[in-house]
Amino acid sequence: MTTFITRRLIQTMVVIFLLSYFCFYLMTLMPGDPVELMIQSNPKITSEDITRLRELYGLDQPAYKRYFSWVAPLVQGDLGYSRTYRVPVTELMGPKLWNTFILSFFALSLSILVSIPLGVISALRAGSKLDYFINFIAFAGISVPSFWLALILIMTFAVFFQLLPAGGTYTIGTDNAGIFEQILDRGKYLILPTISLAYLQIGRFVRFTRSAMLEAMRNDYIRTGKAKGLPRAQVVWKHGFRNALIPLIALLALSFSSLFSGALITETVFAYQGVGKLVYDSIMANDFNVAMISFMISVSMVLIMNLVADILYGVADPRISFQ
Amino acid sequence: MSKVTRFVLSAMIAFTMSATSAQAALSNKELKIGISQEFENFNPLIMTMVASFYMYNFVGRTLTTMDADGKWVPQLAKSIPSIENGGAKLITEAGKKKVQAVWEIKDTAKWSDGKPVVCDDFKFAREVASSPNVSVASKETYTMVERIEWDTKTPQKCTFTYEKARWDFTQLGQLYPLPKHLEEPIWKKHSSLKEGYEKNSNYNKNATLPGLYNGPYMISEVKLGSHVTFVPNPHFYGSAPKFQRIIVKLIPNTSTLEANLRSGTIDTIASLGLSFDQAIAFEKKVKADNMPFNVEFKPSLTYEHIDLNLENPMLKDVKVRKALVYAINREDLVKALFDGKQQVAIHSIATIDPWYTADPAKVTLYPYSKREATRLLDEAGWKLGADGYRAKDGKKLSLQFMTTAGNKARETVQTYLQGQWKAVGVEVIIKNEPARVFFGDTMKKREYGAMAMYAWTSSPESSPRSTFHSAQIPTAKNGWSGQNQMAWKNTKVDELIEKLEVEFDAKKRIEISNAMMKIYTDEVPVIPLFYRSDVAVIPKALKGLKLTGHQFSETNDSENWSAQ
Repeated sequence: MTTFITRRLIQTMVVIFLLSYFCFYLMTLMPGDPVELMIQSNPKITSEDITRLRELYGLDQPAYKRYFSWVAPLVQGDLGYSRTYRVPVTELMGPKLWNTFILSFFALSLSILVSIPLGVISALRAGSKLDYFINFIAFAGISVPSFWLALILIMTFAVFFQLLPAGGTYTIGTDNAGIFEQILDRGKYLILPTISLAYLQIGRFVRFTRSAMLEAMRNDYIRTGKAKGLPRAQVVWKHGFRNALIPLIALLALSFSSLFSGALITETVFAYQGVGKLVYDSIMANDFNVAMISFMISVSMVLIMNLVADILYGVADPRISFQ
Repeated sequence: MSKVTRFVLSAMIAFTMSATSAQAALSNKELKIGISQEFENFNPLIMTMVASFYMYNFVGRTLTTMDADGKWVPQLAKSIPSIENGGAKLITEAGKKKVQAVWEIKDTAKWSDGKPVVCDDFKFAREVASSPNVSVASKETYTMVERIEWDTKTPQKCTFTYEKARWDFTQLGQLYPLPKHLEEPIWKKHSSLKEGYEKNSNYNKNATLPGLYNGPYMISEVKLGSHVTFVPNPHFYGSAPKFQRIIVKLIPNTSTLEANLRSGTIDTIASLGLSFDQAIAFEKKVKADNMPFNVEFKPSLTYEHIDLNLENPMLKDVKVRKALVYAINREDLVKALFDGKQQVAIHSIATIDPWYTADPAKVTLYPYSKREATRLLDEAGWKLGADGYRAKDGKKLSLQFMTTAGNKARETVQTYLQGQWKAVGVEVIIKNEPARVFFGDTMKKREYGAMAMYAWTSSPESSPRSTFHSAQIPTAKNGWSGQNQMAWKNTKVDELIEKLEVEFDAKKRIEISNAMMKIYTDEVPVIPLFYRSDVAVIPKALKGLKLTGHQFSETNDSENWSAQ
């Protein structure tokens, strides 16, 4: 297994390097650059200013030179400087990544906790009224546009009932409060975005769990288990659910890989200080350093979680070998 | 419906009604402002975003600024020097004509750590801005002043010598001083590195440091992408600000911004908040629900227009260009789409600019006239065919019309205009692109087929060099710089621009501007549409806030805001 993990880690590093150059190059092909934005916001900017700024930012250099100028400090731990916000990328992204992680983690945990039991129940009672009801909830989750759900939640709980804040990450001015008060305050701001984000995932997970479980419960060994007189719980969870886990692991691993990617719409609507909108804005503004770091994080997470999924396959199903 | 259900519903409705009508009373303790645009750090030399300037005006002042009525007024300066009042004079140095002006800083002007604002702070800012390693957007703002001198006995009486004799030498609204006592050590350490200073500046690393600001407020907290908190500056030279705390909160989604206002999370929406159509809709809600807000509309300098590609063979004929203007009813457009709250544009100078004129003797006006449009097109040889469109030499009069995709207001205007041009036999084909492609590539390289709709923002009394001068036509040779995307070439206009920039007589400047507008409206390189309005939602209890419509935002007199 150690050889397997080492080999996969080396492959991962190579893929990250190749993809980083490919993406950097693609970004250089996009129309516009950070100087374009300055021109739009400053009517006094002259042709000389434009030339000077492009030289200063290195935008007059070929793509490969710009790539190595970016990657050289990166390997020494310097993530660069945001051209849009004019602060170091670490300073800009650090807190936002953490916020995104908290939101995504809670949303994912909630959706797993709700959807897996619902999916299993739905599969075990396929065709019943309960199954139809769970399916209705799941399809609603898949179909409802995220911005609509978010706005409905805001209008209901923030505007009409005024129970929860309409948006934000924490109450401004509570930085000096005690840790317990800060956790409570943050929790208040997390409720609506977590529900909004989790509901969209619940629909998907329920459908996936139901289908995997239905498939597993049709196998001969389930019939054999039942014929042998095994307790129902053992048949369902030990033999049925364990076999349904293989496709679920792949889905959950990919979902975990997006923990740091951010949820653009949810974060934007709730004015939540996550990384989603930052990444979107950085791409739109050609803020290379921010966009590339977020890209590297996303790629690394996908590759690492895929590796984790491959390892977990073997744990869930001993028939799968690491050779 | 059961009794229980009825009771629950009634209770919910009663709770909802009471909740929505409960509006927190505004007090001088705190004001929470919502904006929807991003901001960056607050180094006045480096920042470029509109939201950053909006917020910087809470904390930073310079010698002079433009007030809400569009007049230049002193801020840190005791008065504005002029040749007439003897504060400035024309001099000749090494055979070159220059201006020399004496700017006297108010004795009470201090940084927020109590240190006085002195001439050396301006000189230091100029030195930093002049460096090739600092990414100041418009270097000329600083380098137009060649040198700054003073007598050591009077460190607040500065003599500015400008590099050339320019009439607008007093328009220093964006030449900000830097606190030399705090920033010089950083400058000395990092000035030799590319972007070294700006990356290490106190504004970047320690934005709440006392002494960085000289305005009515100072910054007590900055969270990029979230909010900025301002508290009164005890050393402010002017009247003490009334609000004890101002929080500017970034809420990027404008629907959420409105929900935040209605839930009381914010008290007001700044001019950088709602889109125009949202503001109109919200004004109706305010009236219908009797909410304690005023939705204010202020005509601005932003000029929405259509560039005509003068290299397009069909648009080379001025009769076709004139016909296109006559064929559109801009008064109706503004009424139908914007509730009449944006002003119809007749040329590039907005109504709030002192150089504006609508005198038919000075500019050519194009009132809506389908008949006149038809006559001009007939004269130009474009004959109406059986298909309802005009053609000449077998070629249909068909024009490509571009704008930024996804901009609802612009796309609605496009459809409206397309219908009006169809009525006179002109086929208009709409092809829109995302803003970054449209501005970053198509407009930059003048690759739009015939017409391109977007906006220009200018300052009052500003030279139209970047948009009118023939040297400003973007070409591969000049690296696609310049903003004369119409490729308009008129030697007379070029001469007038040169003349305008060095004319010291205010009346003569207006005459030159009028002469340029006459040529502009005669030759129609651009179809003027409307001047945009700034919008803000202001609580009725908030007094003293005046929208400006120009780049010097309403926060420039925030010390006069109060809750009543």
